[in-house]
Amino acid sequence: MARMKFLCDADRCIECNACVTACKNEHDVPWGINRRRVVTINDGKPGERSVSMACMHCTDAPCAAVCPVDCFYTTADAVVLHSKDLCIGCGYCFYACPFGAPQYPRVGNFGSRGKMDKCTFCAGGPEQDSTEVEYAKYGANRLAEGKLPLCAEMCSTKSLLAGDGEIIAAIYKERVIQRGYGSGAWGWQTAYRETITV
Amino acid sequence: MHDRQQKAISRRNFFRALGGASTAAVAAAATLRPGEAQAYDPGKDETKARYRETDHVKAFYRVNGYQTLKK
Repeated sequence: MARMKFLCDADRCIECNACVTACKNEHDVPWGINRRRVVTINDGKPGERSVSMACMHCTDAPCAAVCPVDCFYTTADAVVLHSKDLCIGCGYCFYACPFGAPQYPRVGNFGSRGKMDKCTFCAGGPEQDSTEVEYAKYGANRLAEGKLPLCAEMCSTKSLLAGDGEIIAAIYKERVIQRGYGSGAWGWQTAYRETITV
Repeated sequence: MHDRQQKAISRRNFFRALGGASTAAVAAAATLRPGEAQAYDPGKDETKARYRETDHVKAFYRVNGYQTLKK
């Protein structure tokens, strides 16, 4: 079974924010919510690096682990989705998420932020596929239409990859081999330095 | 004055009445046992895989690995 993943090739990202705009437009995302955003490190300095971030659809999702009402579920193709009917807007998932993916329509305290909203990997939600109800709550369901997330399909520099984890990892690995260097994130030694033998 | 005290629960009878109420609550709790907490189950239809390797998706893989995935 294919497992859906995002991968941002940070050597190609030019911080154009087309992925952010495409996402907001495709899903009619309300003001104040960014399901995807571009993070730039060392902005304006040598070695500046940008990376497009959204929900990474974790295998063992921390948001789902802390949710007091268990509104998260993972689909068979490893997309982490949630039910807005169950969400109480407590904000725990926002604190648990290492990527800052969960977003809320209002600024407020516990329970007054409104229903949580996040990237759905363009896979809608628990409502019936490609219906108006699903669109209003979760946005477009491109995966059901045989397409991939629009952010990745729109990327002009082919920086943002989405789809079957095995295939996009192979594409990225080939790129790294071709150009002779990576984003500094390839391999276990990046995280564990030389203390680990691969 | 004496009549008014008789109508309301008197100070001396307050805890007696409270004791009776708590006994009733304990009895009710014993008969109404809470069920097992259930996590949200969206059902098989909603968790099914929607990803299909359509021509559209294949085209995405092809153009992203333009030089590299020559097969």
